[in-house]
Amino acid sequence: MRGKVAVIGVGMIKFGELFDKSLENMIQEAYLNCLKNVEKGIDPKEIKAAWFGQWSGGFIGQGAQSGHSLTSMIGNREIPCTRLENACPTGGDTFRHACLGVASGMYDVVLALGAEKMRDKPSAESLGGAGGGGGAETGNHPAWMIGQGGPAIQAMHATRQMYELGYTMEDYARVAVKNHHNGTFCPYAHYQFEVTIERVLNSPVICWPLHLFDCCPQTDGAAAAIVCRADLAKKYTDKPVYVLGSNVGTDHHQLWDRDSFVEQQSTVKAARGAFEMAGIKPKDVDFAELHDCFTNTELMNIEDVGFVRKGEAARRLKDGEFDMHGKLPINPSGGLKAHGHPIAATGLGQIFEVVTQLREEADKRQVKLKNGIGLQQNVGGPAFGVAVVNILSRSP
Amino acid sequence: MAGIIGYGVYIPKFRLEQKEAAIPWGSWSAGEKSVCGADEDVVTMAAEATDNAMKHAGIDPAQIGAIYFGTASSPYIEQYVSPILAEMLGLRPETTRIDYLGSVNGLANALLGCLDAIAAKRIKCGLVLGGEDRATAPGTEGDANFGAGAMAMVIGTTGTIADFEGMHTYSTLFLDRWRSVKDAWVSNLNDNRFDREYGYQKHVSEACKGLLEKLGRKAQDYTYAVFAQPDERIPTLPAKDLGIQKDRLAPGIASIVGDLGSCSSFISLARILDKAKADETILFGSYGSGASNAMSLVVRNQIEQKRKKLVPVEKYINRKQNITYTNYLRIKEHLKRGPY
Amino acid sequence: MSQPAPASPMFWRFNAEVFRLVGIKCKDCGHISYPRTKICHECGSQKIEEYKLPKRGTIHTFCVNWAPPPQFEPPILPVIVDLEGGGRYGGIMTECGSPDEIKIGTKVEMVFRKVLTERGLNVYGYKFRLAGEG
Repeated sequence: MRGKVAVIGVGMIKFGELFDKSLENMIQEAYLNCLKNVEKGIDPKEIKAAWFGQWSGGFIGQGAQSGHSLTSMIGNREIPCTRLENACPTGGDTFRHACLGVASGMYDVVLALGAEKMRDKPSAESLGGAGGGGGAETGNHPAWMIGQGGPAIQAMHATRQMYELGYTMEDYARVAVKNHHNGTFCPYAHYQFEVTIERVLNSPVICWPLHLFDCCPQTDGAAAAIVCRADLAKKYTDKPVYVLGSNVGTDHHQLWDRDSFVEQQSTVKAARGAFEMAGIKPKDVDFAELHDCFTNTELMNIEDVGFVRKGEAARRLKDGEFDMHGKLPINPSGGLKAHGHPIAATGLGQIFEVVTQLREEADKRQVKLKNGIGLQQNVGGPAFGVAVVNILSRSP
Repeated sequence: MAGIIGYGVYIPKFRLEQKEAAIPWGSWSAGEKSVCGADEDVVTMAAEATDNAMKHAGIDPAQIGAIYFGTASSPYIEQYVSPILAEMLGLRPETTRIDYLGSVNGLANALLGCLDAIAAKRIKCGLVLGGEDRATAPGTEGDANFGAGAMAMVIGTTGTIADFEGMHTYSTLFLDRWRSVKDAWVSNLNDNRFDREYGYQKHVSEACKGLLEKLGRKAQDYTYAVFAQPDERIPTLPAKDLGIQKDRLAPGIASIVGDLGSCSSFISLARILDKAKADETILFGSYGSGASNAMSLVVRNQIEQKRKKLVPVEKYINRKQNITYTNYLRIKEHLKRGPY
Repeated sequence: MSQPAPASPMFWRFNAEVFRLVGIKCKDCGHISYPRTKICHECGSQKIEEYKLPKRGTIHTFCVNWAPPPQFEPPILPVIVDLEGGGRYGGIMTECGSPDEIKIGTKVEMVFRKVLTERGLNVYGYKFRLAGEG
């Protein structure tokens, strides 16, 4: 992968409870923003293939969407397109497939777009089905699926992190404080207000030990990226961002087959493979957008990706290492905590952030770059058994 | 004749003070009753009673030739529940599964069916189960005093802890309790004296008299007398007819766990067997819907040896947690959330 | 989109699992899989034998879910239990009045309970109760 693929444009819409925007409205807006973002301009007809990330299909009443749903909506039905779903990593994995399309030599310029409409149903209903657990629609027997949605499963990890690693609810709340703070600098975030540790700990308990403010909100959104052959990138922009590594890790899909509840092997494997492809180590990365669907998950991700040893994340967070201007900024955009998690859009929204940061166009939330390398990660699915990691760089 | 190889009971943990369900409607009921949790029913209760019975009996499920389930509280009008328990035990399709429904004499009839099959040599060993958690309506007598529980007995001819020496039934058309397919609760006329004397008392006494005549025995010869217990005082009525002293009667249970329907006579029997000694004798009389099955039992030596594998009735009686009337109303679905 | 209904083939296929807790144990790596499978999920081996899950164990982790699906009264207590002799099972607690009654390491046992009712049919399965109650 390294040396073959570059990102020449990214686009997203402001995530939120977008009651007056349909799925199509959001897709078109993100797509047009992405085209405009290509510095030297691009003729849409130059895009020769597309991948459409969309998780929920018929589940949240959006009507089943297939690949051609995207090509119809962008007014370009001359290109192949496949709808992609891989649980919470859908967005990051849609990006990966677009990169594979180029790296394979089949296509020169391709589009990756992810969109999700979560809020046409009340929050509680979309929370029940989405968010990593899969709830009752995985097809397993109801006796095995009761009460095991995303929040419950991450809460069970949080309980175990407290028991094995000595983490506290305050540690978790601290993640929310950091990410809400970062979100106030990001015009695309759903939530743009600060919170304190007290506010988090006093918010209603959703799934002990997680409170309302430990959970990312239910949100609508769309995001896109245009990816091309690395050697053609300069035709479109003076600031291409190169893909060093892109990998998906898979682990058990049944909770009781898993070994540890303080680490998620899917992330570990996705990261290990991506670093190998990139030929770099975790310490070479300047900043990362990680999957903080829940606050404790961010701490777990920091460790699972390999940035710090298991059990170290909470202390280092407290020391300020992961702040926007710290040693290793995590979620300078505000993460899922501030953006929400419109499932298929999330990963591509993180790619948008990584690319924007690497181009040094992140304005008030710009992080300091040393090596010019950023990382994006998602994790999710039944038993949180699938994860994606993309590593991008401003130099090839 | 065949006997009990092992037995097990189950009584749910939750208790309601009977008066809580009576006073708001202008009536009165004393004592407490057991209440199924929202995730319990006769099937789940019988499942635990069966586990207990199988451990006590110490037999392999493969030896069971038939399974008989007696209840007036089946969740289904069409679809037996005995196959669910059979599935839990992994019984082969050759095992007959039969439900005896629609009467609180159901469990006694299920036992009768099993004994008849053993006597006919169609099977060697059977599993007899019962459970009760009757549907009620707020303000009715049953809502205040119907309790919940389950009983399981492994019946056969080898390794028995107590044997049946004789059986006699007495039945007439007598309408004391009923529930039509159109009703969601059990009704009665509240003509207590008529129901008690011409219903319960008459049938239990006549069944026992018929049995005693068959066996050439006197009621006073028996160590214990166990009769169905819709309430704690009613067993004294047939006891008087038969000349049985009060101290021979099984201890009261209806004011502790309520009227256990089909299971009431059998859980009282279990309570006696929990402590009984070899060679002691028991006169037994069930009652339900104008029918009484009287039986004579003699306790065997095996009872002492098997006792360490037993989960006694007392354990379930002592494990309790009181709930409020509001909780009770929600569990019984008398109080429902608005549909939307 | 809907879940297969209780009388459907999926439910019938899972009878042995749901009613008798039958899973498999891998002869190569020892991993216990439930429900049954023909390829070990852990190591990919096909050398497997039937294994009945034990009903007793200790809590490995849990949470307190105050936002369960509509037909469940909150809170419910999902638990992951380390079963005696190996293997794990995930379920919810029953007869557990307060979350204070459980912590990691608490001894629990499986009990057969009604999970939900759909189209008038009861779906049964195993939940966990504090050990020693029965």
